[in-house]
Amino acid sequence: MASSGAEEADPGEREREEHGDLHHQRRLASSLTARYSDWVLEALDELPGSFLLTDPALAGHPIVYASRGLTALTGYARREVLGSGARVFQGAATDRAAVAGVREAVRAQRAHQVAILNYRRDGSPHWVLLHLAPVFHARDGSVLHFLAVQVPIDDAGRGAGAPCRGAQGAVLAACREEARVDDDFPCASYSGKVFVDMDKRGLEAEKPRVASDSEKEKAISTANSIVAALNRYSKLTGLVVSGKRCDSVGIPALSSSLNLSLGYSREEILGCNCRVLNGPGTSLEVIEEINQHICSEQACTVDLLSYRKDGSSFPDLLHVSPIRDASGKVAFHIWVHLDVGAKHDFNGLTPEVWQLGAVGAVRVAVRGLSASGSLLRPSQ
Amino acid sequence: MVSATKVEGEYSFLSKNSHLDQSEGVKTHLYHFGAEHGNDDLKSTACPEQGPSLLDTILLSQWDNFAWKGHLDYDVTACQLKVIEGGINFVGQLNNKWNSFSLKEYDKLFESFRCSKPNSMKSYEGLLLCVAQGENDRPEVAPSASPPKDGLLLIANAYPVEYGHIFLVPAAVNQLSCYWDKRMFGLATKIASEVNNAAFRVFFDSRTHVVSDHMFFQACYFPNPLPVESASTVVLYEYGGNARSDIIVSETVGYPLKAIVFTSNNLKALVNVVSEICFSLHDNTTAYSLLISNNGTKVFLFPQVKNLVTGCSLSTWECGGYFIYHTKFEFDNASETEISKRMASVSLQDSAFEDLKHLCCAIAHDLVK
Repeated sequence: MASSGAEEADPGEREREEHGDLHHQRRLASSLTARYSDWVLEALDELPGSFLLTDPALAGHPIVYASRGLTALTGYARREVLGSGARVFQGAATDRAAVAGVREAVRAQRAHQVAILNYRRDGSPHWVLLHLAPVFHARDGSVLHFLAVQVPIDDAGRGAGAPCRGAQGAVLAACREEARVDDDFPCASYSGKVFVDMDKRGLEAEKPRVASDSEKEKAISTANSIVAALNRYSKLTGLVVSGKRCDSVGIPALSSSLNLSLGYSREEILGCNCRVLNGPGTSLEVIEEINQHICSEQACTVDLLSYRKDGSSFPDLLHVSPIRDASGKVAFHIWVHLDVGAKHDFNGLTPEVWQLGAVGAVRVAVRGLSASGSLLRPSQ
Repeated sequence: MVSATKVEGEYSFLSKNSHLDQSEGVKTHLYHFGAEHGNDDLKSTACPEQGPSLLDTILLSQWDNFAWKGHLDYDVTACQLKVIEGGINFVGQLNNKWNSFSLKEYDKLFESFRCSKPNSMKSYEGLLLCVAQGENDRPEVAPSASPPKDGLLLIANAYPVEYGHIFLVPAAVNQLSCYWDKRMFGLATKIASEVNNAAFRVFFDSRTHVVSDHMFFQACYFPNPLPVESASTVVLYEYGGNARSDIIVSETVGYPLKAIVFTSNNLKALVNVVSEICFSLHDNTTAYSLLISNNGTKVFLFPQVKNLVTGCSLSTWECGGYFIYHTKFEFDNASETEISKRMASVSLQDSAFEDLKHLCCAIAHDLVK
């Protein structure tokens, strides 16, 4: 991950020098607690996985929070990375194009997913699926934080179209030095290749590793839990934080019983924001109406024009409703689309009745789930 | 097939019509059970793989709509839940707005649905659905119909204990029925079976669910197993002859409130046995609660004594292990020990419970043969 736009060298270094400074530490911690609440750190501590939160408003775009899972994955103690820019995980063989892509996503304030070569504290490289997402202030749309989830990519998840071509001997040796890995570690030859490509500028760097679907889903679900936690605790300070920017709500789960024939596969839709169904004819006023209802945690039913993957449109009866879990807080919003034009057999029920029935069923199910999405358990 | 829109609010009041037929004027969705083919085993008609049942869908939909329109006193899903530490996993809810109706209020509420003149618009809004026996093979829904006299009205409870909390009330008062209406109990159990959703449970409390000598039921949804449903049981009686009429009588083990469990796939057998036992309990003036769970295949019987010291008694929901706390302090300090003590204090004495167990087995044996 890169600092927002600025040169990577000095500001980050300077910040790290002040690392031991207590005032600085407090400032980093308050980046979260001032916006959300004192309990947000505890809530984030409970979440599994390796992830970071960074604050673009502070100089050097530093890490302000690192999850418990970070140490197991990267070898860094949490406090070691606080205050650093996230580039602390990158190294010599990290694909510059991938880094540039991340930097661009940060600048454009949008979500981004990329397989990237990171380095652990001991210098060993490993592939992770990096899932980056902005956390927006619901009202004014400003970015409060970026969250970055790191999901390790299995060795076996190596992409099919990634042959090990021999690289120039000297370059390969140099990379191996940097990487400190065994000879037969697949990345070694790859790093060499990437390094060579950099020199050749015009060539596309191949994506050396491909994350599997389950790894992608894991990244997305971790991201959603984080956002849900932030969302939940933001209320306590009176700040309303939307899960994502109000006009880009994610789709964390897709029920197979929902009647959707959009041309997208289930995996393609998961993790997308609902704008994926919007198109040229979709009314902006209606979208704005939905946003307002989401932000005020109210349900609404609207008629709008939605688009399938192939570009064809359909009249969409859309019901959006907040769903609460056992904590009583809103866990997510449910979007139930219905193609009014298609034939449906609802056993004599009207489409509206069927839609609300689907919403009710989800409400019942989620009511028994704790905030982390698992079945309600006694508190520890 | 019908295509009309929902009928909430579209009621033809009796401004001009006669007042004679009390079911006129109220129109609602009417759900007809599929006709039985003389086969008492209802499980043969239910197809679990097909997703939520029609009755489940329409009930949830009507309730959600009722909630969305703001008719509920509060959003029960916004009330925090927790599992209380200890092996039994009692469930606690923090809810400072829940109010248990008094009997007089029940009476007034139900009358307003039966009477031709509504007391207020709000009471009509609460009528979600009517359920009645049908003549066709498959269940069907008519979106706007007058409730038949032998039907059951499903009315939303504006002070819900959980999501989907409804009252099940007879559409017409049967003047001849004594307090225990076996037909009604059968309908209530059948509804549980047709909803076919393990989260849906129907309950009855002998002390509070009888108004003007007429019984009514309540029901609501909760997705997790209730503590009593997770409790171990030991079988007291098992009829192993005719598989279709199998009924198993067991008692709970390790649960602080003594309870008897009746399990059967044969709805008619279940209704017969439990009804007979409830008649006896009524004669003995023993208070009790019933919890119909597991899609109408299981009935929990919670006999209770009146605690003369504390005057404490438990609602059916509490018998099942789900407690509502009005203040944060009570909620935070809820403990399994304290709850177990409360349950033990209203539980039957050992000897009385032994007698009851014998009675249950004897009745089951007599009726099932």
